[in-house]
Amino acid sequence: MTKDIPVEVAVDASDITRFAPHTHPLWWGILAAVAIEAAVVANLLTSYFYLWARTDAWPPEGVEPPPLLWPTLILVVLPLSSVTMWWAGKGSDAGRMRQLALGVSASVLLACVAIGFRSIQIAQFDILWSDHAYGSILWAITGFHYTHVVSAIVGTAAVAILAWMGYFTPERQLGVVVDTLYWYFVAGVYLPIYLVLYWAPRLL
Amino acid sequence: MTDVGPALRHRDDAEGRETLATIERTWQSPKGFFGWFTHVNHTNIGRRFVATALIFFAIAGVLGLLMRWQLSAPLNEVLDPDTYNQVMTVHGTAMMFLFAIPAMEGIAIYLVPLMIGARDMAFPRLNAFGYYVYLIGGVIFLLSLPLGIAPAAGWFNYVPLSNKEFSPGLGVDIWTTMITFIEVAALTAAVELIVTIFKLRAPGMSLNRMPIFVWAVLVMSFMILFAMPSVIVASAMLMMDRLVDTQFFVAEAGGSPLLWQHLFWFFGHPEVYIIFVPALGIVTSVVVTFAQRPVFGYTALVLALVSVGMVSFGLWVHHMYTTGLPFMGRSFFMAASAMISIPSGVQIFCWIMTLWGARIRFEVPMLWVLSFFAVFITGGLTGVMVASVPFDRQVHDTYFVVAHFHYVLVGGAVFPLMAGLYYWYPKAVGRMLSDRMGKWSVGLSFVGFNLAFFPMHQLGLEGMPRRIYTYLPEMDWGFLNQLATVGAIILAVGFGLTFWNLIYSAYRGTVADENPWNAPTLEWATTSPPLNCNFAQQPVVQDDRPLWSWPERGKRTVVGGLRTDRRETMVTTLLDARPQSVQVLPGPTPWPFVSAVAASVGFLGLIFSPWFYLIGFFGAFVTFVFWFWPRKPYRED
Repeated sequence: MTKDIPVEVAVDASDITRFAPHTHPLWWGILAAVAIEAAVVANLLTSYFYLWARTDAWPPEGVEPPPLLWPTLILVVLPLSSVTMWWAGKGSDAGRMRQLALGVSASVLLACVAIGFRSIQIAQFDILWSDHAYGSILWAITGFHYTHVVSAIVGTAAVAILAWMGYFTPERQLGVVVDTLYWYFVAGVYLPIYLVLYWAPRLL
Repeated sequence: MTDVGPALRHRDDAEGRETLATIERTWQSPKGFFGWFTHVNHTNIGRRFVATALIFFAIAGVLGLLMRWQLSAPLNEVLDPDTYNQVMTVHGTAMMFLFAIPAMEGIAIYLVPLMIGARDMAFPRLNAFGYYVYLIGGVIFLLSLPLGIAPAAGWFNYVPLSNKEFSPGLGVDIWTTMITFIEVAALTAAVELIVTIFKLRAPGMSLNRMPIFVWAVLVMSFMILFAMPSVIVASAMLMMDRLVDTQFFVAEAGGSPLLWQHLFWFFGHPEVYIIFVPALGIVTSVVVTFAQRPVFGYTALVLALVSVGMVSFGLWVHHMYTTGLPFMGRSFFMAASAMISIPSGVQIFCWIMTLWGARIRFEVPMLWVLSFFAVFITGGLTGVMVASVPFDRQVHDTYFVVAHFHYVLVGGAVFPLMAGLYYWYPKAVGRMLSDRMGKWSVGLSFVGFNLAFFPMHQLGLEGMPRRIYTYLPEMDWGFLNQLATVGAIILAVGFGLTFWNLIYSAYRGTVADENPWNAPTLEWATTSPPLNCNFAQQPVVQDDRPLWSWPERGKRTVVGGLRTDRRETMVTTLLDARPQSVQVLPGPTPWPFVSAVAASVGFLGLIFSPWFYLIGFFGAFVTFVFWFWPRKPYRED
């Protein structure tokens, strides 16, 4: 029986840290969630090209590819919000909690601007999801990313509230670290979406 | 007292008992009806997953029997065509999504932390959330059948049959929403398992010392991670085609019905391996224990598991040989399909070498494994046959394919699952399953299975198509069908005996000690059933068979210094499992249940109005905030 064998304590955990925001299992969990989302995006973009390959005209006759202005502005705003997110994390690592609160709040505001631009741009689509498969996939990918920006906004808003309440410390900041990781993904995944939806139909 | 090291050295003295009692209180799950909704311990959640999956298995099995009853004679009138289609669709869907994946995941959720010497999984609340999602989604899906509104377009729901024009009514909508919903549970379990295996292994358990079962679960989880998104995308598209008039699969408006097949099978083929790979892990565990020697070719086996996982993503088109694909494409997928037999062969040879010359103990789990060998290898052989394009085009959509996939799925997943039940039941319940009933169950299942499905090969070669609700007497298919029905009944009795055994032995079985089979892995290093905290002290390991090597070394190494007044478990580095930090785990909470209910309302509502997308989104968000919001007093260390 195992329990009858004499025991030796080989690892003493009493002095090992209980806070490790940058190597915490949740960091890995968010990374896995990002992998799932990335797989969804890959499926959607592949479907876009598959539908394209099986159609004569893409976009269909009489439909223009979506205008470039607003999507390109979003391509500026979202990375900018990632910079403020990164700056906020620097602050909380160094114990400057005011910088953290300012940084995450700025990111939320910038992402709200991005959502505003996105809404204007959606209103400009000259095709409905029910008109043609092109419209369906265009709206689906756009809606998918829209939902992600909104969920990053509401999640980060919760982090911002906690930051203004003074909850976070340089050790106790797991929420900030994982929220930032997710934020980078939402901002970063816009690039392939942007290239496929707005440039591919013009260039290919 | 935070240092429990010395105190627990002698578990039987007063101080040791008191320390253990404190830890056990910390890890206890609340009792009572309302307490049930707050459980987060992986042992509770894993047990629930397995029990629920087995109930769904029984229901789906009864549906299978109904189909066999209908087909037992030509022009039979037990089921009308539409009911038959519903029964067939629900049988296939439930077996795949409600039974096979969750049962494997449940076993993994139960065993992985025990096998890697952890006290719980990395995200206990997410675990609970996944279970409720699965339970709610599964029950709603199955309820559609007695209500007569079940989907009837087959488990793979090919468009255009499944679009609004040809499948009016709620059936396919229930399929798309509930299956997508249940996939969420599969994904949460996959994330949970990957992170637990990566980060919570006991100190010393470097990747090359992990039990093969844990490797298999890791491969399965990665496959889920990359396969499930495509069925989610596909069913979301179908859902939108049916509910808000998108045109993804409507050929007249630029859509492509073949897109559905590609997306579905890009998931659907790995899916087969998602349930098969953990079964390989179970088989390896059983073979090692009942041969009483370390596994032959550990590295080869691990590489074979990983390559099965990878290659399985390059095979999906072999389900679509008859859809008019380019010749080059078909040849490529034919070669890839044949290639998967290489790693499968490596596994079989590793097991044979492990068993070769060993004094094998022919206990019930081992008997299930031996029937697995026979059945699965037969299924593998027909697999090599249908992998080749010319042969496949002959038997496509006939009962030959039905025979083939039941041989690989039942042989490759259910028989090992049964082996696993008999093998680990004593650990989970603390009592042995009845040996006599077990042996009868193996025998009847093996005979019944072959009698039920072997004749289908011949029926298929004679041209009997799949998915038909009846056939004409002139076809001369009556006798073989009758034989298959008799076989199905015997098979049901065989499995039924195990069900009865599971219930009976929980009360009357012989009491099991810690390690009744003399197995080498860590799940047997704790009491049966395991403590609330799994291990009074987390183990530290030096090799891949600690329970065999500790007695040789004359000492057992453990972790000391974890606190007793809150839930703590070691976090170690990914490759070498060196101690890195300590994770403080959450205790019982009802919020995962509330979140699951909010999400279910959203998903179910989608059938009736797109606005439920918003309701579900914000409803779930609010519950997540309550779930994650830090509670005072904030933790200072």
